[in-house]
Amino acid sequence: MATLQLNNIVKDFGGTQVIKGVDLEVKDREFVVFVGPSGCGKSTLLRMIAGLESTSDGDILIDGQRINDVGPAERGLAMVFQSYALYPHMTVEDNMGFSLKLAGVSKEERRQKVLEAARTLQLEPLLDRKPKALSGGQRQRVAIGRAIVRNPSIFLFDEPLSNLDAALRVQMRIELARLHDELDATMIYVTHDQIEAMTMADKIVVLQGGVVEQIGSPMELYHHPRNRFVAGFIGSPKMNFMTVEVVDRRGEGVTVRLPGGGVCNVPVGSNHLDVGKNLVLGIRPEHLVLDDQGPLVGVVQVIERLGGSTALYVQMEETEVIALTDGNTAHQVRDKARFGFASSRAHLFGADGLALPSLQRHPLADIYRKDNRTHTETSNY
Amino acid sequence: MTASKRWLPLTFKIALLTLLLLWTLIPVVWMVLSSFKPNNIITADTPRIFFTPTLEHYASLFSGGNSLWPYLLNSLFIAGVSTLIAVVLGCMAGFGLSRIRIKGKQHLAFWIISTRMAPIAAVIVPLYLLFRYLYLLDTHAGLIVAYLSFNLPFAIWLMTAFFDDLPPDLEEAAMIDGATKLQAFRYVVLPLMTPGLVTTAILCFIFAWNDYAFAQTFSGPSTQTIPIAAAQLLTQTGIDWGKLLAIGTIVVCPMAIAGLLVKRWLVQGLTLGAVK
Repeated sequence: MATLQLNNIVKDFGGTQVIKGVDLEVKDREFVVFVGPSGCGKSTLLRMIAGLESTSDGDILIDGQRINDVGPAERGLAMVFQSYALYPHMTVEDNMGFSLKLAGVSKEERRQKVLEAARTLQLEPLLDRKPKALSGGQRQRVAIGRAIVRNPSIFLFDEPLSNLDAALRVQMRIELARLHDELDATMIYVTHDQIEAMTMADKIVVLQGGVVEQIGSPMELYHHPRNRFVAGFIGSPKMNFMTVEVVDRRGEGVTVRLPGGGVCNVPVGSNHLDVGKNLVLGIRPEHLVLDDQGPLVGVVQVIERLGGSTALYVQMEETEVIALTDGNTAHQVRDKARFGFASSRAHLFGADGLALPSLQRHPLADIYRKDNRTHTETSNY
Repeated sequence: MTASKRWLPLTFKIALLTLLLLWTLIPVVWMVLSSFKPNNIITADTPRIFFTPTLEHYASLFSGGNSLWPYLLNSLFIAGVSTLIAVVLGCMAGFGLSRIRIKGKQHLAFWIISTRMAPIAAVIVPLYLLFRYLYLLDTHAGLIVAYLSFNLPFAIWLMTAFFDDLPPDLEEAAMIDGATKLQAFRYVVLPLMTPGLVTTAILCFIFAWNDYAFAQTFSGPSTQTIPIAAAQLLTQTGIDWGKLLAIGTIVVCPMAIAGLLVKRWLVQGLTLGAVK
């Protein structure tokens, strides 16, 4: 049980800043996910929290205590590495009990605690094996088991699922979320996979180039991205962007002219916007609907039929747009297609890449994973 | 079709390996065989493979006025101690070189191994002068230092390569599990370094054990090693072939047996994780 606070954290590698002043507050029992493209500094940030990298500037606080100068051993954290980092010369039991052995815990008590964790993770039949004799998924579970046995104040995960195949990854994702509920512990999880971030996090921290782009609940990032980077990074397929021109800003929202001449009023705030100015309109593929009266028109270039849904890659003047439509869409390549969208689903970005603020907050923007769970549990009864 | 294609290279490979094996093994086998022959058969004009073996050469080596025992003990002691120091220091220095992030690390590593590149002949005279001033001539310590000057850079270089091969994740995991740097080294790194340590130790030991030039120059009556004993049998009045071959066998055998015992680690070590 612990809280974590980062105050203006900086990491400097020989003159290059890889973390450029990060502020973050992690509440007790929260599941926080650091997400971002490779090289964004998310792993470095995690390693700084773990104490494996020094902090060039700023403060790291656990439960209000500054721990910058405390070694990794004394921070009382546990970490699951991308490579699992199981000790190859030890059995599964010794791997999991290593931290207890170092702490001077008696052999019986050690066995007791290891067995307990092994039971949670269904590792009991494997306790006498060496890591070499385990499958990828089993190794992963041993690494998690080793972390559980340590009974840490905070769990750290560094891309733990990236070495697993797709099916196993989905399964482990669910297991990890369940584990978080069971252990009720503070967890920080690093991934480049936005689906992992969306499905597991209470709070997502989107990083790019050592800078926090946005912090928020998964639904908040999805519905109210702060800038174009977050808008493009969260959601799959990626959000479509097209250049539009402001034609009117009287009354509610901003009215823009779309490529192809159509006009649309987007309900966003419009401080100091000049008519005639160019903005970028963002609309998610799943929010584009086939509509014969719609304002957007283009020619279908590629069709990906996924069964449940169909992705249409449509050329609209200079921009290529992806639309996620119904699985039964009968369109064919080189067909002309018209699309419409609910203007409340559209986003507008200024020249600086920042989103113009929405006038209405999405009703689910403040829902958290735990609320989700309570909701599904009650609906099960 | 593929069978006929493979057929030729395979025969070629086997022929080449056979040739290589004969080339390496015949002198050794002949030496070992001859060391058990009576004197008149060793130098017989017609080489003989079948004969009644005798231990007379070995017996005479370890008896009489000039016994081989002191030489053997000197060799074991000097090679053993210099190997131990080289491996311990090489292990620590290699760990440091592999893990610490400093500027110009490559240059430092290269500078260390470059000291190993000087030919022995080039350093014998300077070392001799140095040892004379430091009263290290005819001491065990002198020879140990001489061997270390060659073995230590080699051990550091080899151990660095081994540590480079070991992912730092493991030490980091140990430290997060609550281990100090030393505990992580002791419980996680060291056990995994066994192949590296064994390989380094054997190669260092062989260098010291086989050396003749340093031993000839720096040792005195009380510190002479086995190769010196062998050389002493080449006298102006004649060569005692039987004893010479027996000494040769004694020199080669421990190394060959040790090599066989740790073959698994040695192969793993010499390929340096290139084959996984």
